[in-house]
Amino acid sequence: MSTASVPVAAGTLVRRKPPWAVRRRRFLVAVADHSLLIVVAIIFLTPFAFIVLTSLMTNEQALSSHLWPSPFRWHNYVDVFREAPIWRWAINTFLYSVLATLGVLCSSIPVAYALSRIRWRGRDLAFATVLIALMLPPVVSVVPLYVMWAKLHLVGNLGPLIIPNWFGDAFSIFLLRQFFLTIPEEYLDAARVDGCGELRILATVVLRLAKPAIAAVALFSFLYTFNDFFLPLLYLRENPSHWVLQIGLSEFRSLHQVQWNLTMAATLLVMAPVIILFFLAQKAFVEGVTLTGVKG
Amino acid sequence: MRRGVIAAIALAAILAAAAGATARSAAHAGTKADTITVWVGWSARELAGFKKVVAEYDSKHPDVNVKVVGGINDDKITAAIRSGNVPDVVSSFTSANVGSYCKSGAWVDLKPFLSKDHLDVNVFPKTSQYYTQYNGKRCALPFLADVYGFYYNKKMFQAAGIKSPPKTMSELTADAKKLTKRNQNGSLKVVGYNPFLGFYAGNAPDLSAYAPLFGAKYTDAGGHSALSKDPAWSRLLKWQKNLVDWYGYKNLQKFNAGAADEFSASHAFEIGKLAMMIDGEWRVAFIQAEHPGLAYATAPAPVDDAKKNLYGAGYVNGTIIGIPKGVKHKDQAWALLKYLTFNAHPLAQFSNLIRNVPTTKESLNSKEIKPDAHFKTFLTIFANPSSKTTPITAAGNAYGTLIQAFAVKWQAGHAGDLHAGLQKLDKQIDAQLKQAQAGGVP
Amino acid sequence: MTETAVTAGAPFTAERRRARHRAAWRRRRLVLMLMSPWIVGFCVFFGYPLVMSVYLSFTHYDLLSSPKWIGWANYKYLFTEDPQVGPAVRNTLWLILIMVPLQVLFAFGVATMVARAKRGVGFFRTVFYLPALAPPVAATMAFVYLLNPATGPVNVILGHLGVNGPLWFQSPQWSKPSLTLLSIWGVGNLMIIFLAAILDAPQQLYESAELDGAGPIQRMRWVTLPTISPVILFSVVISVIAAMQYFTQAYVAANIASGQASQAGDQTVNNLGYPEGSTLFYPVLLYQHGFRFFNMGYASALSVLLLIVAFTVTVLIIRNSRRWVHYAGAVK
Repeated sequence: MSTASVPVAAGTLVRRKPPWAVRRRRFLVAVADHSLLIVVAIIFLTPFAFIVLTSLMTNEQALSSHLWPSPFRWHNYVDVFREAPIWRWAINTFLYSVLATLGVLCSSIPVAYALSRIRWRGRDLAFATVLIALMLPPVVSVVPLYVMWAKLHLVGNLGPLIIPNWFGDAFSIFLLRQFFLTIPEEYLDAARVDGCGELRILATVVLRLAKPAIAAVALFSFLYTFNDFFLPLLYLRENPSHWVLQIGLSEFRSLHQVQWNLTMAATLLVMAPVIILFFLAQKAFVEGVTLTGVKG
Repeated sequence: MRRGVIAAIALAAILAAAAGATARSAAHAGTKADTITVWVGWSARELAGFKKVVAEYDSKHPDVNVKVVGGINDDKITAAIRSGNVPDVVSSFTSANVGSYCKSGAWVDLKPFLSKDHLDVNVFPKTSQYYTQYNGKRCALPFLADVYGFYYNKKMFQAAGIKSPPKTMSELTADAKKLTKRNQNGSLKVVGYNPFLGFYAGNAPDLSAYAPLFGAKYTDAGGHSALSKDPAWSRLLKWQKNLVDWYGYKNLQKFNAGAADEFSASHAFEIGKLAMMIDGEWRVAFIQAEHPGLAYATAPAPVDDAKKNLYGAGYVNGTIIGIPKGVKHKDQAWALLKYLTFNAHPLAQFSNLIRNVPTTKESLNSKEIKPDAHFKTFLTIFANPSSKTTPITAAGNAYGTLIQAFAVKWQAGHAGDLHAGLQKLDKQIDAQLKQAQAGGVP
Repeated sequence: MTETAVTAGAPFTAERRRARHRAAWRRRRLVLMLMSPWIVGFCVFFGYPLVMSVYLSFTHYDLLSSPKWIGWANYKYLFTEDPQVGPAVRNTLWLILIMVPLQVLFAFGVATMVARAKRGVGFFRTVFYLPALAPPVAATMAFVYLLNPATGPVNVILGHLGVNGPLWFQSPQWSKPSLTLLSIWGVGNLMIIFLAAILDAPQQLYESAELDGAGPIQRMRWVTLPTISPVILFSVVISVIAAMQYFTQAYVAANIASGQASQAGDQTVNNLGYPEGSTLFYPVLLYQHGFRFFNMGYASALSVLLLIVAFTVTVLIIRNSRRWVHYAGAVK
């Protein structure tokens, strides 16, 4: 609401800040209007609050029914790093997520482009395979793939987790294809007239125009692999030097007989990177999620 | 585009590096001394004890470098053997799994090694011999045994006026009720005896710790599951449920949820929230390390009133140790295995450190064993002829899972008629065993 | 690639035809190159596992010796003798029939409220989306701790209010509702999609409905719901597919909760499905047979069954959707 203290031409609306009483009433009305929303929001934030509180307690307090730490043990966050090789887990996780995301991008973008901007025989059939693969629960293919990786002696390291991402991801292909379809043909024609080959068009024009979709795909890939538990559980469990953060966190209790205060601190540390990433890339996140829903 | 190709190649190189990381590090061994890896289930203090024992072996044998990994469970062992990344020596706390290990060949047959070195397995007690083989195929050796006995808080006994530890289940029930204290809101403050299946090791939900105390037989003469035919099982389950109901199922649940982890320093018995319990002999070392001032005593566990002569017996099992399939340094693995299991010195030394029962006759009588009044009880129980272990089957510990599923439902009151339920359970166990023996499903 | 070489009236020389063939050849080569990752990926990571699953389901295979053909024995055990399959199927059905609707309803409800909010939309959106970002493992561990029947904050607060809190993850009746609470906490993804769709709804439709005298509920029923029906379909489909793969939260919750009940720390006991098999969902059962017992053959049989069911259910939902989903003119 802008305050207009400069004289303006007659006819324009001059808005002055309403008196404090009116503003307060409007605020209270807004709170009442949104009261349910506010209550639900508070309930949604409460688990985070309790996690933080517990992570600052001593072990005995965490095991008792006390709700407020006294004293505040900030040292817990240092202890967590001493108790478990969090840095190694973080490096493993980072390696997995980054390489997998790169793989998804490198392999899905060309495929999506071929499926959307080039006409060729069998294109519809190929797209159907993407749709079918989308509907397949990955749990179904887990057993034979494990057998395959075991025979290749790659069980126990990050290979089985990273390599499949370099051969296309159905969801990313689908999303990118839908987005590519919305690019007006004129842009591409203009580039073609200039003498660009198809690949050059893809690399320059399309990539630049599809930045939001690509950002969304990258974000989702990163998020999905960062949070992934099932595949690491299958392939990394008996090799603690290659554990990722999620496995380490789930095993944090049996290694050290459940110190819940440290466990909650570790939980918070594991949640932190994603939340920080969200706050940095908020717009891209929301746009990306919207893209999946609206185009899906 | 050229940039893209170079980038792609670079990334592929990184990929290959990431994927092949273990392969390279594994092949690192074999420079001067061969590195052999030992997997054990112990962690923290007990693991430190094992490492001490191994360090001595390491120093005496410059041609090997022994690496110890702790915190292993059977899941990890089976996964490792399947994936091919096996350690050289592996050990497990679940002796009941030896059946599936031997039958499938997951652990190698040790007979050729034993006969080559002219070693006789009769140096091991009969029970330990039993739970390290299946159907004559010996794929494991015993490495310290576990025995379950009775722990009770002397101070609480004095305060309640109880003179001696209970010898029968009815005495146990009476004492438990006397020693239990409740809070004002009805929740449990101190529990006399917690019979809740799943609460700490003494209440293993597959009923293994209780079976020898009731003289319950798992199979009949024909080799079929006898849980519905042997009345001891019904007596056991009925006694257990009656006591659970007296406490209140939900009250016990809440108490258990608020109790500390079994291997933490705030173990319910050690901090005085639990007056009596059945637990393994290892607890003596834990109490010594964490609460040396606790006024407690040990005794054989109480037995069924109908079988008073069983008093002095208990549940026995132990750590089994063997060589998994696919090992490269077989001879060096065997050398370490032989040292750990047959020599009195490492057995006695390790037994002192973690207070488990030594598994050879020689080590049981060794002068190196530090005497401990609490621990002596368990040696006596171990020697008792009525002390039993759980049956070794081709399905490994799978029948334990079935019993557990039923028993847990039973104590919650969700299992309906006891006899009918046990009959169904017998059928399931027999079906499961048939499939496993025929090489079929579970 | 469009052909720009042909001009009206130019003679069709053989050279021209060859040029066209070469162009077509180049196009095919280009498509092949672009599609190659997916071709390999589809065959190796989709086609091959599918075929292998079917093959392995007729064998007994424990990865130590080669697969042994046993015909229909796995399926026979699955349908007639396995005591865990029935409960596993029922548990997964529970998820599909109770958890998914609750998720969709809650996401829709919150999105509606946020859409109507005049201020702080960004703030609310953030608050509701944040839990969805939490890794499932971390969120589950936190919830199991928070819902500890004896010392967890939730029951402590309920106790202060005079309510005797339930046993949450320790009770077979409350374990699935507890997991549902956890999933509702993480419903942020769906909520954002709904929010975007609701905000996208064309204003004229609302205005004309208001002019016709429609109250807010009628406006919801006749304007909002039909307009966002494609999004509802999308949410339902992905939620059902997720429910049929529900694993991580169940696995972690069973492990942690059974540890809280202070079982022997060395895991000689099978904790999956704790308590009393109430959290044994179909994927958890599959994992147990495939990667605990290493009965690869039987696990393959379970996965083949899951594939058939998943496919059928998805097709059914989509087929059924034609009745109530309105697409705004665009070709699907």
